[in-house]
Amino acid sequence: MPHATAPSTNESSFLLAALRENVRLDSRPFDAYRPISLTFPSSSPDTYGQSEVRIGKTRVLCVISSEVVAPYPDRKFDGVLTISCEMSPLMSAGVDTGGRPDPSETILTTLLDKSIRRSRSLDTESLCIVAGQKCFSIRADLHILDHDGNLLDACCLALVAALAHYRRPDYEVHGEDVKIFSAQERDGVKLTLRDWPFCVSSSYFDAGTITITDANLLEEQCREGEVVVAMTRHGEVVQVAKYGGVAVDALGMLQVVEQSLAKVKMMDGVVKEALARDERERDKGGVMKAELSAENERVMERPVG
Amino acid sequence: MPLDTSSYALAHLRLDGRRWNELRRLHAQTSTQAAADGSSYLEMGNTKVICTVAGPAESRKGGGGGGNAEAKIEVEIGIAGFSGVERKRRGKGDKRTSEMRHTIASAFSANLFAHLYPHSTITVNLHVLSQDGSLLAACLNATTLALIDAGIPMSDYIVACTAGSTASYASNDEDADPLLDLNGLEEQELPFLTVGTLGAGEKVSVLIMETRMQMTRLEAMLAAGVDGCRQIRSILDGVVRAHGKAVLDSAIS
Repeated sequence: MPHATAPSTNESSFLLAALRENVRLDSRPFDAYRPISLTFPSSSPDTYGQSEVRIGKTRVLCVISSEVVAPYPDRKFDGVLTISCEMSPLMSAGVDTGGRPDPSETILTTLLDKSIRRSRSLDTESLCIVAGQKCFSIRADLHILDHDGNLLDACCLALVAALAHYRRPDYEVHGEDVKIFSAQERDGVKLTLRDWPFCVSSSYFDAGTITITDANLLEEQCREGEVVVAMTRHGEVVQVAKYGGVAVDALGMLQVVEQSLAKVKMMDGVVKEALARDERERDKGGVMKAELSAENERVMERPVG
Repeated sequence: MPLDTSSYALAHLRLDGRRWNELRRLHAQTSTQAAADGSSYLEMGNTKVICTVAGPAESRKGGGGGGNAEAKIEVEIGIAGFSGVERKRRGKGDKRTSEMRHTIASAFSANLFAHLYPHSTITVNLHVLSQDGSLLAACLNATTLALIDAGIPMSDYIVACTAGSTASYASNDEDADPLLDLNGLEEQELPFLTVGTLGAGEKVSVLIMETRMQMTRLEAMLAAGVDGCRQIRSILDGVVRAHGKAVLDSAIS
């Protein structure tokens, strides 16, 4: 972490003393997330694949775009998925972009990559148009707008929601020719997502005896170790990452994994609900909705009695 | 594929003749390079790693960043092009390599008594000569030995090994055995995790799993891994004590 934002000794010892008395500074239970909000802001009704996630004050925007490229020569039947997450001074004071990327940025991108791309949650074979010649290259750009801790969970949530929301252009193959339709000509096609993996980050304090989920910025800077569990709502663990830090009891780690399942189910519900709400808002009814409905207009009269 | 052979179904023997809870041959030496402050050479089966440690030394930036109250640990990993099955040159900026570097640096930052050396840097250089599975585990073990050889105090050994699962080959959940210390072929095909513990206890310092796995099987794999780490610790401790005894004997005589 850049030294400009390192917490003072007073702040860190106050935080630790409060945790030892079972109190988090924002009065949350140890395993509670801050309020999560997920929306799909878009400039036009034809644009899909943009999601904005807020976890407390942490704010992340994800934008999905696609283009047609030639596939990699050693993977002729697969499309390409690229995840890019860049940190900028916009997100918090003291972030230095000149020179090499911050190590925390590399770790964040690596974890996201492992959770979504290397775990093959997005079926890249469905992105293939003509084997060996043309395929879709899906690019996910994550912009961190505000950093108040737990960037990974927010980025993963935004990424999965945006991928689930996005519609790639439809196409037709006639022999050698491929015609790609624009959004005005034909409705886009949703991407094939095997499942939705979500990341749950837990932090350790006090020589590994205290565990909390969803650390805000101050807790993140003071923590002694962290573990990230990426899971789907069916209980399939996609990845576990504990990169060093304080040594923790093995049984405690297993408990963390089990408790993460409940959080993953919660995030899954958030995404489903946001997708359904967005679908309702976009559906202007089509041209014929009024005619297709069999409902009569009813005039309710008060019963005589 | 590694378990498809009839030997596993009939006698539960893996391709190299090991049972589920047997480690590969672990060979380790310390003080292999006289020029370095600390050095080691470690073989876990066919995975061969050389580690040299330089430090604690004055930081190059000369107090940049406001000065640190603890020693900083820097890790460099060089994976030889001839280490794998196919010749492949890996740049230093490779994502997997930087992930391993971060893991090793972070694991030892929490373990070494770095507060004894403020404003210093401890540089760890790893060279991978041959890869056959358990690469991160071998690097962690080699680094532990080299740091002990360099005389840098630490609370306990950090030992690591891999553990996998026969889940995809088992007919149901109960039959799925965990496997200890996977070689390269098994790592490609089976789900596995790398676990690093602090000493012989059950304190987990490093845990990395990159393959999909049902939550319920994690416990068995983790238990097998922690037990394997215990065995490795006693082997490494024997190596360190033997070397120490040899030094004492040669000093007396």
